Amino acid sequence: MIMRRKHFFIVVLLIAGLILAACGTSDTASDQPAEVPEVEAEAATEEEPASIPEVSGPLTVMCGMQEDWCQAAVQAFEAETGIETSMVRLSSGEALARMQAEKDAPSFDVWYGGPSLGPSAAAEEGLIESYVPENSSFIPDALKDPNGVWTGIYVGALGFCSNKELLDELGAEAPNSWQDLLDPVFEGNIAIADQRTSGTAVTAGGALVALEGGEDGALGYLRKLDANIFQYTKSGSAPGRMAAAGEVAVTVIFSHDCVKFQLETGVDLAVTFPEEGTGYEIGQVSLIAGANNPEAAKAFIEWSLTAAAQEIAATVGSYQIPTNPDAEVPAEAVKLEEVVLAEGFNPGMVAELRSGDFPERFGAEVRGGEEAPEG
Amino acid sequence: MINSIKQRLREFKSISQDGVLAVGLLVSSIFLLVFVVYPIFRILAAGLNIDALPLLWHLLSLGETQRVIMNTLVVSLGVASLGTALGFLLAYVQVKLDVPFKRFFHLIAIIPIVSPPFAVAMSIITLFGRSGLITKRLLGLRYDIYGADGLIFALTISFIPLAYLSLLGMIRGLDPALDEAATNLGAGGWHAFRTIMLPLLIPGFASSFLLLFVAAMADLGNSLLLGGNLTVLSSRIYLAIIGEYNLESGAVLSVMLLIPSLIIFAIQHYWVSRRSYVTVTGKPTGQTRMIRNPWVKWILFTVNFLFAALIVLLYGYILVGAFTKVWGINFAFTLDHFRFVLFGYGSEAFSDTILLASLATPIAGLIGILIAFLVVRRKFIGRSLIDLISILGLAVPGTIVGIGLIMAYHQPTLGGLIPKLTGTAFIIIMAFTIRSVSAVVRGGVASLQQIDSSIEEASASLGASGAMTFRKITIPLIRPAFLSGLISSFARSMTSLSPIIFLVTPHWRIMTAQILNEAETGRFGNAAAYSVVLIVIVLAAIGLLNIIVGSSTGAERLVES
Repeated sequence: MIMRRKHFFIVVLLIAGLILAACGTSDTASDQPAEVPEVEAEAATEEEPASIPEVSGPLTVMCGMQEDWCQAAVQAFEAETGIETSMVRLSSGEALARMQAEKDAPSFDVWYGGPSLGPSAAAEEGLIESYVPENSSFIPDALKDPNGVWTGIYVGALGFCSNKELLDELGAEAPNSWQDLLDPVFEGNIAIADQRTSGTAVTAGGALVALEGGEDGALGYLRKLDANIFQYTKSGSAPGRMAAAGEVAVTVIFSHDCVKFQLETGVDLAVTFPEEGTGYEIGQVSLIAGANNPEAAKAFIEWSLTAAAQEIAATVGSYQIPTNPDAEVPAEAVKLEEVVLAEGFNPGMVAELRSGDFPERFGAEVRGGEEAPEG
Repeated sequence: MINSIKQRLREFKSISQDGVLAVGLLVSSIFLLVFVVYPIFRILAAGLNIDALPLLWHLLSLGETQRVIMNTLVVSLGVASLGTALGFLLAYVQVKLDVPFKRFFHLIAIIPIVSPPFAVAMSIITLFGRSGLITKRLLGLRYDIYGADGLIFALTISFIPLAYLSLLGMIRGLDPALDEAATNLGAGGWHAFRTIMLPLLIPGFASSFLLLFVAAMADLGNSLLLGGNLTVLSSRIYLAIIGEYNLESGAVLSVMLLIPSLIIFAIQHYWVSRRSYVTVTGKPTGQTRMIRNPWVKWILFTVNFLFAALIVLLYGYILVGAFTKVWGINFAFTLDHFRFVLFGYGSEAFSDTILLASLATPIAGLIGILIAFLVVRRKFIGRSLIDLISILGLAVPGTIVGIGLIMAYHQPTLGGLIPKLTGTAFIIIMAFTIRSVSAVVRGGVASLQQIDSSIEEASASLGASGAMTFRKITIPLIRPAFLSGLISSFARSMTSLSPIIFLVTPHWRIMTAQILNEAETGRFGNAAAYSVVLIVIVLAAIGLLNIIVGSSTGAERLVES
């Protein structure tokens, strides 16, 4: 009997050991240090000794753009520099939450894509290291942070994206102003992202704050608009799918997303802009504080500002406007000059709105049906 | 008082004398501490300290929060009752009805567990939504499916296998002799059903209801895609953390999510433990008596058939979405989505996800059944605590599990004994395991409660050691529950989204996160193709598991249908 008990003990220990061993192996396989020699070996065989870049991999990119764009960019960078690069796509909110949680030991080196309000918020918590890229001399001042917190890689303008077939059914024209959106004809037929989850929505919020002369005015407008809203989505571009599918007639999204949905689905979508003025976003690249490989991260940032790097966007159907003046502007892209920008709007105020209590007030006063707090 | 202390002391002493208990307790305690308690403690430490109390009070006083709590309760109660009722019906048809297509009905009932839940959500939107194939094109309705109705619909479909599988095991475990005895004593079919079967199945209903309730509350994918303007607690927490960058109120809100599930768990647990449900007695069992009343038979069959048709429609339409240019808009045939998924970016995610889920499955299966065994069969200090902790992994919303893991293990812990785990595969395996163990434990507990411990006592009095009894008697008896536990934990790992959404790394990509990405950015076609391949993988794995775990003891036939 004692023997049998021992026997059972051994079985349990063996099973536990096997489990640990299995986890242990996969664990070390993913350890970055273990991969370094491999990378160096590759570099040594593929490159001339003299041309081995001082910078070597691995580089880890946190990417905020669409998956296909992220991939194409990372592959192009890897091919061009030989720096082993991997990336994860995260939305601004996910990225920030991740950086906060990993504050002491970040697993990413560079934050690429997504609106500039992301790094602006992160920098306040010391999560971003300022870096003024050499190549940023090409970039207009309005499209970069003076202290090098972030540098602009593309610009996108917010607009209205409407399903023409549904507009006809409703007997309505594509809206040309924020005021048009309040028309009762659109009741239950407008989709826009939630101010609390989406940078796109806050960009609209910022334009409205600029136009209505303050947060109270903007929230007042959004309360009126609420009567026409079918759904507040989590993601900024999701309303585009709803417009294409015919679930709603009108959506407020970035115009380049609308163009992309139109090309992908073949549905007749109309891009219009509010005549009162609209908001815009600057897509950013920034250096993460405490990066494991800051040199490779800087090389990536410099590369991302080149014309060639910025022209990759159009090859995967993303039609934002490049910030590098030498980069070719795709024919499908909306020209920033053709759009009326809301007076007093700048992307910086979007960051302020987002980190302030505007999203919470939206939640309480527009979504929650609470009265505005007094005072 | 003194007596109870003495008893405690005896229990304590018995731990050192009982090898199975000692080892089992050590393994499961370490597991629960490292995987469940510490990460949740880190979240609670952030969300439920003195400084956070005013925030808790403030949030509770908001009308918005009160509505969110109501929404959550309505949705979860709806899913738990509807799912349990439907799951019972499906299981009943399997065991007690002699009708065609039973094998097919069985597969249909477990299909939802092998797919990421939001796959159904996409299908529901494109079939029954405003531009839905059925609502708009067929019926000319512009029906708004987003909200409570759509959410309950999607969640019930998604979680029905949990109810079905646990109740199926239970009904099969019932001793037909009781039914026979009732009939011989003159009881009619309905009377026997009401007074014999239903009471015997109470632990099964309780555990099914409990599973569905907490699963529905914790689900994130569906409430993001189908909730529309209806916010439930899980999506509110997601909003707080992802949108408002407010980890603190996220933690406070998750405390609110924990409380109702713990209360319900306590009620069920107390209620269930009041009765005895022993039917496996070791005496020879007879043949299950089939229902002969044609009315009952064919009405139940029709309901089951309609359910099967609905499932075929929902999943068939995912297939349509995967093979057509734009799901629901442009029905031209294309392989583009599969090209994107299989030869583009997706291939890496597949191998990673399969590997990690395969590693998590045996861990969850073994630990889960071990805990279930200890909880039901052994008396020791902290038994109910272990029972309670083992369900926490499922009661805590996945998003919180993920963030808790990051907060707990983003740097070396326990003086370097546990290295930094973020960015490694291990932390993803942990997230998978935490969620799966509870399911295995619940199934195991329900199944063990039905087995009279006198069989084990007989084994012991014939001279077998505790370990031998466990191996030769207990394991074969609970094998059906164990197998369904393994299957559901693999499928759960493959298809879970919220716990890993913060844990994906460049080296370890997870398919469900990729699917949500595609769905959120509006590319339903790619998401559908991902889902199809994912379903195929999990189905293949289930087949494999059936072959591997299957053996020659009589209990096996219970799982086969």
